[in-house]
Amino acid sequence: MVELNHSFSTGKDTDYNWDAVLDLDRLIPCVEGGKVLERESDEKAKAEIKVKMGAMSMTFRGTVEVTSRDDAAKTAVFAVRSKDTGGSGYANADVTFDISGDGGAINTQAKISGKAASMGEGVVQTVLDAMIKDFTTKLAKI
Amino acid sequence: MYGPENAELTVHTKRGGAAAKAGHDLTILVERWNATYEGGDLVFEADSRSLRVIDGSGGITSLGDAEKAAISETIDEEVLKGTPITYRGGELTLNGVTRPVAFTFDGTEGRAAVKQTDFKIKPYSALFGTLKVADVVEVKVRTRNG
Repeated sequence: MVELNHSFSTGKDTDYNWDAVLDLDRLIPCVEGGKVLERESDEKAKAEIKVKMGAMSMTFRGTVEVTSRDDAAKTAVFAVRSKDTGGSGYANADVTFDISGDGGAINTQAKISGKAASMGEGVVQTVLDAMIKDFTTKLAKI
Repeated sequence: MYGPENAELTVHTKRGGAAAKAGHDLTILVERWNATYEGGDLVFEADSRSLRVIDGSGGITSLGDAEKAAISETIDEEVLKGTPITYRGGELTLNGVTRPVAFTFDGTEGRAAVKQTDFKIKPYSALFGTLKVADVVEVKVRTRNG
């Protein structure tokens, strides 16, 4: 398990950010290589993420679901459950958004298995950190 | 005079960055080139559109033919873009930049180390910069017997 903490800022107000983050059609494409395949409900979507490593790539496909939310505190937990389409590995994560001010805090608890995990936990952590930092720069324009 | 008919010219890249394990060390064959000695001085030219990835070692998955072709295309379209490659008077011209590069040749094998950033080439990177091609690439030439 890898745990990471990040923050983001959009320069917009709290209500705007809360609505934007909870809209999976807007949130998921902020992940580089991420796209919604099918919206199952307001709070659940089938999605995939294609992680490019130069000419090589790995595609993880699964679901993103809001598993808990507190509209008063403006915190929400997103469960990501995905499998590597080219192997037996998986990438799961529980991502907690805490919206406040003109942005928010993101706590990510991820569990990766298979080929990606074979790079070692330290490397997975470094890559995930870089990926989430990139995500926060795209969130800034959500 | 040397060329693909009597010698093999290859470029060797190494992986760098935190996620180096995810990448491959590449062997790239230069398919069109020629070299002569003029008064003891090496004069060389190569077609930068003729670089072809022939081998990739390492990585968390093996490098297939489609990926090799994709990398060759990236080298052509995003890195060298058809710019001439020449070596004359101890100076290499690459990507429009001319700089001295040491080349050693013992009659059978020759080697040179080329630092990409010296030639205004940004080493290719992926995975949000955690996987990148090492700045220095090695160039080797090996003559064939007979």
